[in-house]
Amino acid sequence: MDALIVVFVTGLISMFIAMAKKPALVLATAVTGLSVAIGLMVCQWSHPYTLVKYEGLLFDHNAIKYSVLAMSFALLVIVGGYSHFKKEAEHTGEYISLLLFSTVGALCMTAFTDMFMFFLGLEILSIPIYVMAGSKKRDVLSTEASLKYFFTGSFATGVLLFGMAWVYGATGSFKLAEIQAAISLGTAQGALLNVGILMMMASFLFKVGAAPFHFWSPDVYGGSPNIVTGFMAAVVKLAGLFAFWKLFTIAFADANAVWGGALAGIIILTVLVGNLSALRQTKFKRLLAYSSIANAGYALLAIINQDTQSQQNLFIYLVGYGFAIIALIVVSLVLDNESDDIEAYKGIGRKNPFIGFVLVLATLSIAGVPPLAGFFGKYMVFSSAFTMYPILVIIAIITSGIGIYYYLRFIMTAMSSEDTENVQTLKPSLLHYIVLAVCVVGLLAGGYISL
Amino acid sequence: MELFVIPLIFALVAAFAPKNVVRYVGLLGAVASLVVTIVHAISFAPEATVSLVDPNYITSFGLTFKMGYDGMGLLMVILTNVMVTIILLANLNQKIANERSFNAMVLLMQFGLIGVFTAMDGIMFYIFWELTLIPIFLISWWYGAPERKQVLVKFFIYTFVGSLAMLLSLMALGTYATDFSHASLVAVTLSAKAAFWVMGGFFLAFAIKIPLFPFHTWQPSTYTVSPMAGTMLLSGLMLKMALFGMIRWMLPLAPEAKSEMTCLVITLGLIGIVYAAIIAIKQSDIKRVFAFASISHVGLIAAGIMLFTKDSLTASFIQIINHSLVAVGLFLAAGILENRLNTREFSQMGGVAKLAPKFAFWFAVIGFASVSVPFTSGFIGEFLLLKGLYGYNWIVGLVAGTTLVFGAVYTLRAYQLSMYGSPKIEGFKDLTWNEMLAFFIISVIIVVLGVYPQVVIDFVGPSLDNLFNSMQASNTLVP
Repeated sequence: MDALIVVFVTGLISMFIAMAKKPALVLATAVTGLSVAIGLMVCQWSHPYTLVKYEGLLFDHNAIKYSVLAMSFALLVIVGGYSHFKKEAEHTGEYISLLLFSTVGALCMTAFTDMFMFFLGLEILSIPIYVMAGSKKRDVLSTEASLKYFFTGSFATGVLLFGMAWVYGATGSFKLAEIQAAISLGTAQGALLNVGILMMMASFLFKVGAAPFHFWSPDVYGGSPNIVTGFMAAVVKLAGLFAFWKLFTIAFADANAVWGGALAGIIILTVLVGNLSALRQTKFKRLLAYSSIANAGYALLAIINQDTQSQQNLFIYLVGYGFAIIALIVVSLVLDNESDDIEAYKGIGRKNPFIGFVLVLATLSIAGVPPLAGFFGKYMVFSSAFTMYPILVIIAIITSGIGIYYYLRFIMTAMSSEDTENVQTLKPSLLHYIVLAVCVVGLLAGGYISL
Repeated sequence: MELFVIPLIFALVAAFAPKNVVRYVGLLGAVASLVVTIVHAISFAPEATVSLVDPNYITSFGLTFKMGYDGMGLLMVILTNVMVTIILLANLNQKIANERSFNAMVLLMQFGLIGVFTAMDGIMFYIFWELTLIPIFLISWWYGAPERKQVLVKFFIYTFVGSLAMLLSLMALGTYATDFSHASLVAVTLSAKAAFWVMGGFFLAFAIKIPLFPFHTWQPSTYTVSPMAGTMLLSGLMLKMALFGMIRWMLPLAPEAKSEMTCLVITLGLIGIVYAAIIAIKQSDIKRVFAFASISHVGLIAAGIMLFTKDSLTASFIQIINHSLVAVGLFLAAGILENRLNTREFSQMGGVAKLAPKFAFWFAVIGFASVSVPFTSGFIGEFLLLKGLYGYNWIVGLVAGTTLVFGAVYTLRAYQLSMYGSPKIEGFKDLTWNEMLAFFIISVIIVVLGVYPQVVIDFVGPSLDNLFNSMQASNTLVP
C-alpha cells in the first residue's frame, strides 16, 4: 500500500519538478521513487496489507510478486526511454509522470479484491497510455494510434461496465469472494451471470489484444512512440493478464463451463492470427505487435488451465516476455530509425557485437529457445496445460514452429554480414547499457525462478 | 563438471581474445577438453554409470538436472572432443580461424554436444539439444556461401519444428512419470497407442536431424552452403546426436511401440540407402556427392539401431564413430578443393593428384575407409550391421548390402573426377602441416578401429547391458 502511495506521489512530484526543465532531475526522482516503492513492496512480503475501513485492495503474495514485476518493468522502460524523453526537455516530466500514474493503475489491478477497485485500476492504467500514445504530436500515425486506442478502449470499457452490472445483478455483490461464493452455492442468476461474464471476458480480451479483438493493436503499437509500445507490451499486458487470471480463476472459477470453451476457441484463433500475420510484416513495431498478440494467446493458456501452478506459470511467462520486449524496444531506441523498417536493422548486430548479442538473446527468448527465460515460460505453460487441453497445446506448439520463421528472419537481418561498411556504429548511452545489461541478466536467469 | 565447463570458459575467452591469437585459444580449448576427457576415460570402469551433476533436487515441474555418463555417453564425449580438435586443427590456416565469433561458436557447440551426450534428464537433453542449433546456424550464416539465406532458414525451421515434436513427446511422457530423470522415464509403462505417439514425436526430431529419407531435403543444400568447418560439424557430430538419441532416449522410453516402428524406420532407412546413393552417383558438385553419401550411410545405421540387440547397437556405435571420421575427412578434402580452386564442380577440377601428391594420398586413405575396405573401421561397422539386418530379414540384408557397391561407385567416381584426368587447373598448393596432421589423426583412428574394434565393444557393451536390464526391470521389453 505504501508503495502505491509512493509511486503516485513520485508521479506528482515529477510533474512539478518538470517546471524546472531539468530532465535529469525528473529521471532521478522517478528512479528513486520507484526503487523505494519496490523496496517497500518487497518488505511487505510477510505482512499482507489491506485498507482498514474499505477492503478493496489486498497486497497478498501474488499481488506483491506481480506489482514488483510491474514496477521493475516500468523502471526499466523509464530509464531506457530517457534518451527519448530528453529530446523534448519541456515535456520530459509529463511523460515520466504519466508513465508513473499508469504504473499506479497497474498496482491497483494486481491487488484488487472487488470490481470497483479493479475498474478504477483499469482506467488509471489506460488513460495515461491514451495520452502517451499520441505524444508524438506532429506525427499523423501517432495521433491515429492515440485516437484509435482511446475510442476502442472506451468502447471496451463500456462493455466491461455493462458486464459488471450484469454480474452484480446476478450475484448481488462487487466483491470477488462473495461473487465466488454466490456462484459456487448456485444462488447466482444463471443467464444474467453468463452474459455478464462473457461481456467482461470480451473486454479483457480486448485489453490484452487477443483475436478477434486485436485489430487496434498493430496500429497502436506501430504508431505510438517506441518507448510507449514497450510500456504497453510489458506493463499493461502484465496487469491485464494478471487481473484476468484473478477474476476468472478466483471469482468465476465455478462458472468455468461458461467461459472455458469460449476461451479455448479464442486461444486457438489468437495464436494462429498472431503468428500467421507476423510472417509478412516489414515494420519492426508491427512485427512486435503481432508477436505480442501471439504471446497473449500463449499466456491465456496459463489462465485457462486452472491448476495451482497457473499463477506461477503466468508469472514466469511474463518475466521472460517483458525483459525480451524491453530489450528489443531499447535497441530500437538506440537505433532511432524514423522509418521503423526491419531492413534498417540490417547488419547492426554484426557491427555492434553487444547490441547483436542482446537482439539474438531477446528474439530467441520470445521464440522459446532454451535455456532462456522465454523457453521456461512457454514450457511451464504448455506442460501444465497438456493434461487438460492436449489439442490446444499441440496447436500452440505448431504455431511456435511457425513463429520461429519470422523471429529467425529478424535475427538473420540483424546479424547479416553483407556490406558492413555502410552499417552505422551505434552509440548507446550509459543508461541504455544498464537497461540492456539488466535485460540480459533477466533473460538468462529469469527462467530459473521457476525451479 | 569440468567436462562441460572447460569448453564454455574457453568459448568466453575466445569471444574476447585478441584477433591474432584467437585461433590458438580455440584449439587450446578443444585440446584441454580432450585431455580432461581422456583422464575421465582412463579412470572409467565400463559397467559404471558416473554421475556428474546430481543436486538431488526436483523442481516443481520435474526437472532433476541429472547429468552423467556411462560407456556409451563417454564414448560419444570422447568422439566429440576428438572431432572438435580435428576440425579446429584442420581450419587453422583458414581465414575463418581468425574470427573470434567462429572459435567461440565452435566451443559453444562443443559444450552443447557434451551436454547432449551426458544428459540424464529429459529436459536437460532437450535444452542442450536446442543449444547446439544456434552456434552451427550462426557459423553457417556468417561464413557460408552467398546463396545460403533460404537454405539456412529451411534448415533451422526444419530442425526446430522436429525438436518441438520431441518436446511434446517429453511433455506427454512427463504426465506419467514422477520426474524427468532418465531412470523415471524408462520406468514408465505406456499403452501401445500412447507409446506410438511418444515415439513418433522423438522419431520426427531424430529423423530430421539424422536425416532419414523423406526428411532429408534440408541436408544436401545446407552442407553445400556451409563453410568447411560448418559442414564438418554438421556431418561429424550434429547428426550423431540424433543416432545417440535413438539409442539412449527414443527406444528405451517408449519400447512398447518398437515393433510398429521397427518396420517403418528400417524401410525408410533402406529407401535412403539406395535412393541417396543413386543421387550421389549423378552429382556434379563434390560437396553434394558427400552429402548424399552421408544420407546413404546413416540410413544403414538407423536401420541397425532399430533392431535393438546388443550386437546391432555395438555395430552402430562402431559405425557412428567411423562415419564421423570418414565424413569429417571427406568434407575436409572437399573443403580443401573448394578453397584452393574456388569451385565445387567436377568439370573444373582434375589432375590434382599430380600437383599435390600428399593430398591425393590422404584423400585416398579416407576414400578407402568410406568404401569399407577391410582393416578400416568402416568394414567392421558395415559388416556387423549388415549381418544383423540379414538376420532380421534376408531381403532387408540384401538391399542394405547394396550400400557397399554404391559406396564404391560414388566415392571412387568423386576421387577420380577430382584427382585424375587431364589437368584443368594451373597450380595447387599441397597440404599444409595442420591439414596433414588432421588427416593423419583421422586415418590412424580409422585403422586402429579397423584392426582392433574390441576397444569400442568393451566400452559400450556393459552399458548396453545396463540399459537392457533397466528396461527389463520396468518389464517393458525383452531384447
